[in-house]
Amino acid sequence: MARRPDLHAVGKNQPRLDGFAKLSGRSEFSDDVQLPGMLRGRVVRAGISHGRIVNIDISAALRVRGVKSIVTVDDKPNPIIGMYQPLLNRTVRFIGQEIAAVAATDDDAAFEAASLVKVQYEPLPAVMDLEKALVPGAPQLHAKAPGNLAWEANEAFDEPDAVFAASDRIIESSYASNPSHNCYAEFHVCVADFSRADKLTVWSPTQSAVLFQKTLATAFGLTEGNVRMMTLNTGGAFTGRGMARPHHFIAALLSRKARRPVKLRSYSDEEFMMGRAGGRAQYRFRTGVMRDGRLRALEADLLVDAGAYIETQMLFPRITAPFFHLLYKVDAIRYRARLVYTNNLPYEWHHGGGIAQMHFGWGQHLDLVAREVGLDPVEFHLMNAVEKGHTTRKGVTFASCGLKECIQKAAKKAGWKRKYGKLPPNKGIGIAIGAMASGAKGLYKHDTSAAFIKVGEDGTVSLLTGIPDMGQGSHTTMAIIAAEVLGIEPVDVTIIAGDTDVTPFDLGAFSQRGTFTTGNAVKAAAEDARSQLLKVAAARFDYKPAQVVFRARQVYPKGRPEQGIAFKQLVYDTLHSREGRAVMGRGFYNSPKEVGSMAYSFGAQIAEVTVDPDTGFVRVDRMTVAHDLGRAINPRVVEGQIDGQVFSGMSQVLYEEVLMDDGQPLNPSRLEYKLPRAFEVPEVDHLLIETIDPYGPFGAKEVGEGPIVCTVPAIANAVAMAVGEQIREMPISPWRVLRAVSRQQDQDDDAA
Amino acid sequence: MPSKSVIRLTVNGDLHEIAVSPMETLNQVIRDGLRLTGTKRGCTSGSCGVCTINDERGQAILSCISLAVEWDGRSITTVEGVERDGKLHPLQQAFLELGAVQCGVCTPGLIMSAMGLLNTNPHPDQRAIDEALAGAICRCTGHIKVKKAVAHAIQQIAAQAATQAAGAEPHGPPA
Amino acid sequence: MHLPRFEYVRPDSVAHVLTLLGEWRARASILAGGTDLLASMGQRLAQPKVLIGIRYLPQLAGVEAAADGGLRIAAATTLSDLEHHPLLAERFPTLKKAINAVASRHVRNMATLGGNLALPTRCWYTNQTETWRNARSGCFKTDAQACHVLATSDHCVATSSADSVPALIAHGASVILASVRGQRTVPLADFYREDGANPTVLAPDELIIAIDVPPCADRTAFIKVTPREGIDFGLGTIAVAVAGSNRRVERARIIVNALGSHPMPLRAAEAVIREQGLTEASVEAAAVAARADLGEITNLWTPAGYKRRLVRALLRRALDDVRRQKRGPAPALPAPGLPVAGEVSHAV
Repeated sequence: MARRPDLHAVGKNQPRLDGFAKLSGRSEFSDDVQLPGMLRGRVVRAGISHGRIVNIDISAALRVRGVKSIVTVDDKPNPIIGMYQPLLNRTVRFIGQEIAAVAATDDDAAFEAASLVKVQYEPLPAVMDLEKALVPGAPQLHAKAPGNLAWEANEAFDEPDAVFAASDRIIESSYASNPSHNCYAEFHVCVADFSRADKLTVWSPTQSAVLFQKTLATAFGLTEGNVRMMTLNTGGAFTGRGMARPHHFIAALLSRKARRPVKLRSYSDEEFMMGRAGGRAQYRFRTGVMRDGRLRALEADLLVDAGAYIETQMLFPRITAPFFHLLYKVDAIRYRARLVYTNNLPYEWHHGGGIAQMHFGWGQHLDLVAREVGLDPVEFHLMNAVEKGHTTRKGVTFASCGLKECIQKAAKKAGWKRKYGKLPPNKGIGIAIGAMASGAKGLYKHDTSAAFIKVGEDGTVSLLTGIPDMGQGSHTTMAIIAAEVLGIEPVDVTIIAGDTDVTPFDLGAFSQRGTFTTGNAVKAAAEDARSQLLKVAAARFDYKPAQVVFRARQVYPKGRPEQGIAFKQLVYDTLHSREGRAVMGRGFYNSPKEVGSMAYSFGAQIAEVTVDPDTGFVRVDRMTVAHDLGRAINPRVVEGQIDGQVFSGMSQVLYEEVLMDDGQPLNPSRLEYKLPRAFEVPEVDHLLIETIDPYGPFGAKEVGEGPIVCTVPAIANAVAMAVGEQIREMPISPWRVLRAVSRQQDQDDDAA
Repeated sequence: MPSKSVIRLTVNGDLHEIAVSPMETLNQVIRDGLRLTGTKRGCTSGSCGVCTINDERGQAILSCISLAVEWDGRSITTVEGVERDGKLHPLQQAFLELGAVQCGVCTPGLIMSAMGLLNTNPHPDQRAIDEALAGAICRCTGHIKVKKAVAHAIQQIAAQAATQAAGAEPHGPPA
Repeated sequence: MHLPRFEYVRPDSVAHVLTLLGEWRARASILAGGTDLLASMGQRLAQPKVLIGIRYLPQLAGVEAAADGGLRIAAATTLSDLEHHPLLAERFPTLKKAINAVASRHVRNMATLGGNLALPTRCWYTNQTETWRNARSGCFKTDAQACHVLATSDHCVATSSADSVPALIAHGASVILASVRGQRTVPLADFYREDGANPTVLAPDELIIAIDVPPCADRTAFIKVTPREGIDFGLGTIAVAVAGSNRRVERARIIVNALGSHPMPLRAAEAVIREQGLTEASVEAAAVAARADLGEITNLWTPAGYKRRLVRALLRRALDDVRRQKRGPAPALPAPGLPVAGEVSHAV
């Protein structure tokens, strides 16, 4: 790793600043919140897939001692356009749909009352299968969506048909991914205090306090400022905690009605309903390629089970479509995505945001293309890969790009040439490449993060930020950035976060915007604070401001550290001057682009696997990860981000599946949903490729979601090599492997 | 309604007398009653590990599927009882330095799972480490740095014990 | 988890437990480790009026070396204590391996052997919350004559999954059951019934007191196939015990579990080994013969056919393992000074 000698904090391993609290049991999460008079909530959920609610009888429930409020369709909040909200209608469209809710003084009463709410339905025919839902005559879910087509996106760049016609070969293949669930360490929970009609305070894990604030304010006719989001710590998010969910609205409704705070926490299989464990997707890819392996045209057609309601799924095409532009130099691109209503659980983002899941197919498809034209996939990717300065069909120019370097370094480290095509039976090696935007404008006209810095007389700093830390380590990263600018140590920085009454605006920790966008805002705030100190320092040293160095808690003229004064002395002098300047820095960052991002990360991963031909189990022996992240602000935390994504990608591609049966998940538990654990962990090699992006803070780009995009297809490609054919449905479960193994054995027998 | 009974439970060395109903779990008593919220509430059915504590034999057990009434006269250690004199235990220190903490919800359970191992098996091999941790889930770290931290802490503790036995000054943790 | 209402009693003797059981019968449940029972109660699969806590009865915990070199394991001995007992490493390594395969370390620190033997069968349609189940019709385990796993079945085919069971049966273990009516010893192989809804012969007033394992000089093997090591139900488990040499097999016990509603002996495969000895060819022949032994296979996570194929592989691997072993554990002699009941050495 290239360490710039003039950086003193960036690039050093800094243990998490919140580590002590988290390790000693002191950190507080939303489920740990206890408020005076707090009630416990319980949701009444539909037990049918499709039907009209004829009657809801709450009379018996109301008689249970300790019940303080019951909400039903009559208590509905204001609708938010384009989003499903609970209790808004009298039609049930999936098992588990929120019908009513109870708040009581304890769990016993809440459970009992909820079980006494009697709902009468008039059943309607249901449809669970994605393709069947599109067939004419299928049961219709929403009058506004004839044919159950919830959303369709189409894009074409240049002349796909002409370019396909001019290609030497056209290769087509199809894949599918099945529903999965994030299994957050922190279960879904919301504490809402709406005791005062003009102020709603909400404690809940989130990736974006601002988005929660906005939707809750709209739903309850408040202004944003009257919704106070207390994020505390977020116990894992994995793209699934970006928006307020039904339980947030319900907790607020219950609290408003009871005029007491309410805690609503998932119970058992409810975790899979609150987490919206839906979302099967089918992918068809078509590629036009020249005989020599040069890519000409790409086409993708996605069919996604949106489930019973649109919550945030319409973002799916917007998020997945750009990825066909980012990796390869091509002449034409066509993209189509359709979201289909079914009576399944609504689809919600899972780790990888739909992108990693799509890459299960996309990465395998490209591997197939490489092999069809007789190229080693490494050579094939290198031949077609984008480079620094490349402008995509969508008009994005890569100011930094280490894709080829990632491919080359990963291949070298993994010993690709030695292994590819030369491994013993049941062993496989596979490569996949990926890219990811560092922040993506498009949700609003802005994509802003802001930061405040308060410099104390003792030389310590309070950094106010609105970005939540859900484990990714952003708070520590921000402290390092501020410390770097001010020439102090990261431990001198206290992070103030998680309370929208206090913290500055920040869209949140999604679209991999944290390090890049919030990082730039923090850097700007620190620079603002520094410029206030610089005036005093420059005068004192009689040097130009540009010649003053802030480093190691000292401030000195360039090249003359012996003349330095302590940072805190400078702060003191600045305050105790005639001007009396208290040092407060402020900064914000908003991408100057209209949509998309200023910076993209790139990566390549090589998976090595062993397949057990008797059981179909796949063991990932080693992952070699090369990721162009611009610069590693905190290298060990970066490794941790990569590790988590390698694990989660492996887990999703090999193990995780919410098995749906007639609209119900068959395995809605930590036990039956097969997330692997300590035994199943591969060895991981980290190659941090630092391309120093001109727009990133100290050159940094994202590393929060880019790696998983490579992990999923790299493992799939390695498995394909080990068993002799691609497994085209995710997860690559043992029986899918075994089916392929026996097919291959039969073929071998036939050939013999 | 079944009546409550009073149990005498020692938690991190402090004796508490607590009235509990038969249905209350040890997890509820620790979190809601004693307000020791370092012990988390997770799946509440014994499969996710975030509620792990140590019993008086030092073993890792699951507080969510233990009835509080069964703990009368017994003692437990929670994550709040692991540090000594305001200093992290070498195991916690290893988690911190090797980056084995991310979101932090599973962390107390992982610490108590690993403490269970240290308490009952001073010289565990890799399999024993995996076994000790496999009762818990962590998507954030993917268990990778957690395993390294536990192995590192075991080495540290063994090395410290060896140097102390030899009468030398104990080493600080390596970078 | 939210538990239904119940009374908790902690008897002070085994006799007291039996009296309570005789009185309350099916309305009471024995609470030992609680790892399965409490989770089931949270799902309202079990709703006993009374829980009888037995974990603290000294008579029900501990491992004793029997005079003949076998073991007597008190029923409420935790799986961890049993697993770490020196006698297991010394003389019953396969049993140790099978105990180690149960759930997670956390669960084994709490769960007991008696609980593992009496573990209810499981399936995806019934082992769910009450609200989940309410969205469907009932089954043999609840209030209907139907099986959601296998629609054509006239009985419950939920999976029997206890990992200790096939190993103990292969070792020829028996269970000692007691009630106010008296005490009886049942070979473990006969303890199970081919009915997932009522999987053992344990009467409502009976308590498992202990498990007797005879001395073992056999060559033995145990394999559990599970996609997630460390905490999972097996997709298939097998235990094998072979007496005699490879050339002259005197007795072979081959038991599979986690395939259907009860542990299954593979009689035809046993016969092949007995008749042909242990050779590469006989192992293969046994694997083929095993097909005839397999009754109903319960396919939950896996599609039909997967488990049948798996059994062949399990059998081949387990028998190969045994074939390569030179001999079983040394003939056991009653050794003075071994830890006595209730005293276990692994924990500090």
